[in-house]
Amino acid sequence: MSFYPFGGGSSGGGSSQQQAVNAQNVAMAENELEMITDTFYRIVDSCYKKCIPPKYIEGELNKGESVCIDRCVAKYFEVNTKVGEALQKRGQQAGVGGAVTGFGA
Amino acid sequence: MAFPNKEPVPKEVIYMQMVQDSCIFKVALSGVAGFALGGLFGMFFSSFEMTPYDPAVYEQPMKQQLKATAKDMIKRSFSTAKNFAIVGAIFSGTECIIEEYRAKNDIYNGTAAGCITGAVLAAKAGPQAALIGCAGFAAFSTAIDYYLRRE
Repeated sequence: MSFYPFGGGSSGGGSSQQQAVNAQNVAMAENELEMITDTFYRIVDSCYKKCIPPKYIEGELNKGESVCIDRCVAKYFEVNTKVGEALQKRGQQAGVGGAVTGFGA
Repeated sequence: MAFPNKEPVPKEVIYMQMVQDSCIFKVALSGVAGFALGGLFGMFFSSFEMTPYDPAVYEQPMKQQLKATAKDMIKRSFSTAKNFAIVGAIFSGTECIIEEYRAKNDIYNGTAAGCITGAVLAAKAGPQAALIGCAGFAAFSTAIDYYLRRE
């Protein structure tokens, strides 16, 4: 997960081309930052609902809650990865199937 | 991802919190506290149970009598302290392990830990005694936890 996927070392041609590339980089970086922030707040919300029972005895996390939150975050990312892989597989199948049917039709 | 205007927590504080939350630290703390409390209890209760002394002791001068009494008191309080320390360590250890396994912090951790501790303590006297010990200690632990957690 890199913030600047294309790096800052793109030595393009004229300054206008560099400006366009930089604007595209900035837009991509903004999108990525927004995605990461959204993911972060989703994780916080979901794990907070799951792990912290509504009766508060003290302000600090006790051992059970800390362990629960560790596991919750790990599971969230694993689910993320697995769903991404499954989607990718489906996309590939649909792409292949679509190309075949498109060609046939 | 840090909130704005929040001071970063120094690494030493985080490390200290991590150590304090660990099971080993809790077991050690319970053992030491149990030892101290058991020592006090033993010293107090040793005055109620007078072992039948060898009558020759009463013939000796005052200092000898005091020394004999003190030795008996220390022996008795040490044995009570050891028992309390073991009970405290076992209870705290099992409770910590169960809580880490369940990833929940509620009253049933104490109940299960109490049952295991009671069973372990009464194991030498047979399975029936172990069952009774489990039930008794679990009830005791649940009552104390309930009292401590009420609002």
